[in-house]
Amino acid sequence: MSRVVLLGALLLVVLTVLLGALYRQWRRNQRLEAQLEAAAADLQHLQEACSRLAPAGVVQRLVADGVGPGIESAAERKVVTALFADVVGYTALSERLEPAVLARVLNGYFQRMSDAIHEHRGHVSTFIGDGILAYFGALQPNPWQCDDAVRAALAMRAAMREYNAELAREGLPPLAVGIGIHRGPGLAGLVGSRERMEYGFVGRTVNVAARVQALTRTHQVDILVTDALRAELDARFALVAMPAETVKGIAEPVVTYAVRELRA
Amino acid sequence: MASPLQDVAWESCLIEPSADRDLEAYARRKQGVPNPAVRYFAPVPWLARALVDLHPEYGLLMHLEQSVADLVSLVVSQENSCRFCYAAVRAMLWSQGMSIERIQRVEHDLTRADLPPRTVAALAFGRSQSRSGPAAARAAREALLGAGFSVDEMKEIAFVVASTDFANRATTITAVPAHSLERLPERLHMRLLRPLLGRLVRSRHARGQATPLDRVPPYPYINLVRAYAGSPIAPALGRTLEEMWASPHLTRRCKLLMLAVVARGLGCEVCGCEVGDALRGEGLTDAAVAQVLTHLDAPELDAVERLLVPFARETIWYEPAPLQRRARALLDRLSGPQVLEAIGVAALANGLCRMGAMVLDQP
Repeated sequence: MSRVVLLGALLLVVLTVLLGALYRQWRRNQRLEAQLEAAAADLQHLQEACSRLAPAGVVQRLVADGVGPGIESAAERKVVTALFADVVGYTALSERLEPAVLARVLNGYFQRMSDAIHEHRGHVSTFIGDGILAYFGALQPNPWQCDDAVRAALAMRAAMREYNAELAREGLPPLAVGIGIHRGPGLAGLVGSRERMEYGFVGRTVNVAARVQALTRTHQVDILVTDALRAELDARFALVAMPAETVKGIAEPVVTYAVRELRA
Repeated sequence: MASPLQDVAWESCLIEPSADRDLEAYARRKQGVPNPAVRYFAPVPWLARALVDLHPEYGLLMHLEQSVADLVSLVVSQENSCRFCYAAVRAMLWSQGMSIERIQRVEHDLTRADLPPRTVAALAFGRSQSRSGPAAARAAREALLGAGFSVDEMKEIAFVVASTDFANRATTITAVPAHSLERLPERLHMRLLRPLLGRLVRSRHARGQATPLDRVPPYPYINLVRAYAGSPIAPALGRTLEEMWASPHLTRRCKLLMLAVVARGLGCEVCGCEVGDALRGEGLTDAAVAQVLTHLDAPELDAVERLLVPFARETIWYEPAPLQRRARALLDRLSGPQVLEAIGVAALANGLCRMGAMVLDQP
């Protein structure tokens, strides 16, 4: 009898220990699951924060490619359309406005221009001072990249008009923007140092777009495209030929066309 | 088990679901459980049936392991940010006994998810096809064959990717509600019913049986159907295409134009040639076809085509919420069934092109 009681008690102790171990394991799993959820949420927030520092498409691509320290993303040869935009008379404006007001005005400008570019399948690569460098066809293949870039430029023009009306209501001076667009080959991928890299496009195309943007001052127009781009454009874009101009770093005079509108 | 996609912006559903007993019974007969997506597509029966008939889970695969196909569907849905399909595949894997931890490992890091190298190669293929499309087809095909897959298995993987791309777009563009599916594994009653649910789903799982391709009507993309001759995929795909061409909500020319635009956007030359020939048969000149493909518009297009040609292009690379808003805007100008059919055609075109580049464009 006493042996049966002893065995029963022993069994009870073993069961209690086992149940205790199972309970502890369950609690540990719960804690780990909660930590995993928290880590996933942190990662999501980090990705959202990153998407403010780099285009969302770029962040997704880098995450998907598994790019990390010591791992390089493969660069690809591509034909891309580069759009370069710059505020006309920025220096004078910066002398007239308080830095805080200037920053607010500039942020409003950057947001509206970025929205117009994104809406037409472009991605903003970088802000350079008051300038914007955007690409069409760099992240994904895009056979309609030239039309997209010019549509984006027209949307930027319309957005500037609306923004200037807002600025006028606040008693602030209007902004004017010059936009240069060119299409050509280059290498798309991560560029930079070991410490700081960005997804960019390397090639003559970007320089030409920047030079053409500078010509908007010479020709007193807001949107200029190169001959290489014009050849690919929908004939419904109303263009006006500008006189050929010599620009820094390019041997031949550059032929450009001002974009008037997209005819219905 | 929060879904990694549940924070993806998702608009309210584009269309009201409508009950169709025949369609729902058809889906239940084939899949064992009700298909919550079917009632959203009931006004365009070919589309609703295609979502059931082209599902790689039920009797279409003869060579590829089902577990590999399921994971490929999961990865492609993740790439396409399709909350609905992703939650559906996840729930299916869970109901069949895959642990939450295993699913999360697969989601977080495919290369370290204790998967066999062949499976990892198939998943990498799914990703590359969804991300790069036909541009990467040759390299992707070589990688699959190099990983030890046979040509028949490779063709079935291409089909799984294509059918998932199709379903992803159909349910994403219409914004079919995903929340209840995403939460399904967390519900107590579903946890209790999990073994039963798993048995129900498994009971409808069947390996594909060799099926002769009896009838081959002369419509575009028939070469793709022929490429799967002998497999049950061929008649399923053939029936979908035949019903799509016969459906009355959009003209045949409009559907061809949408297919051509997607082929051009994805750079699928074999598909582009086939659709281009058919467009010339519809009376469009070479110049008009070239104008549409280069600039997404031409004076020869009618009002509906002028709306849907640019829309087709939007379905190639997209973010869900902006695309859902664009589709909603179509409802101001087109009827509900027209918009649904347009979504179906564009979704199918995206799948067909990816499959065509892999299967038809042999070196």
